[in-house]
Amino acid sequence: MKQITFEARSLEEAMPVAVEAFRVNPTYITLDTIEKKSMLGLKRSYEVTARLNITPVDLGRQLLKEMLDTMGIHYELIVETQDEEISYSIDTDENPVLIGRNGKTLESIQFYLRTALQPFSEQRLIITVDIGGYRENRRRQLEILATKTAKEVARSRIEAALKPMNAYERRVIHTKLSEWRDVETVSVGEHPNRYLVIRPKS
Amino acid sequence: MAVDYEKMIADLVRPLIINPDDLAVKQLSDDGQTITISIFVHEDDLGRVIGKNGRIANAIRTIAYASASRDHKKISINIESF
Repeated sequence: MKQITFEARSLEEAMPVAVEAFRVNPTYITLDTIEKKSMLGLKRSYEVTARLNITPVDLGRQLLKEMLDTMGIHYELIVETQDEEISYSIDTDENPVLIGRNGKTLESIQFYLRTALQPFSEQRLIITVDIGGYRENRRRQLEILATKTAKEVARSRIEAALKPMNAYERRVIHTKLSEWRDVETVSVGEHPNRYLVIRPKS
Repeated sequence: MAVDYEKMIADLVRPLIINPDDLAVKQLSDDGQTITISIFVHEDDLGRVIGKNGRIANAIRTIAYASASRDHKKISINIESF
C-alpha cells in the first residue's frame, strides 16, 4: 500500500501535503506523527507518515454498497481478485435497471469504479463489473452472431456490417473470427457509432 | 420508492475529489417528472468530476438516470464550481 514520510512544521500543514502526494480525498489518508524537538526545545517539527487507509478492493465494495443501499436495492456481491485484476459480480432483483439498454448503465458503473479506484493503486488496475451474468451471456451471444454472420459472408462472398458496438464487444468478435481463413474483420466509424464489418478474404 | 438523490450523487462524487469540504449537492426542483440536481465542487476538482470528454460526468448521470427511472422520473444534473 502507498505510504510516504515527510517532515512538517505543523500538524495543519501535514494533510495538504499528503493529499497533494496521493491525489485522493483526505478521508482515505491516515497520518502518523512523531514530534521532534530541537536541542533547545524552541523549534518544533513533526515527522509525518501518511498512508492510504483503504485498499482499492474494499473501496469498490464500499462504493457499490452505498450506491445500491441508497437506491434501496437488495443485492449479493461476489468479489474476485487476482494480482491487479478485481472483478465485482452483482446480482439483484432489479438487474435490468442496473444493466440498462445495451448494457449502458453497467458500462457506466464499471467506468466510474475504474476512475474512483485507480488512484488507490500504484499498478494499473483491471476492474470489471458484471450484473446478473450479463457480460458472460452477451459474450456468448456475440460469438454466435459472429459465427453465423461469418458463415453467410463466406458462402455469399458479400460483406456484412454489424450494429455499432463498444470496444469490448468488437474485440470479442475480432477474436472469435481471427482464425478464420475465408473472412476478415475490420472496425469502421467513430465511437459511439463504431461498428464491425465482416468481409470475405480475397 | 423515495431515493435520496442528493445522498446518492454526493456518495458517488466524494471519492473522486480532494476537497470534500467544498462539495455540495442540491436538489433544485422536482416537478413530478424531472428532478434537477446541481453538484458544486471546488474548481480544482471540476476536472475530476467531469473527466476527459465528460465521461465521468456522463457515467454519474447514467447511474442517476437508471435510479430515477425506477421512480418513473427523469433526472438532470448540472456540475458547477464555486
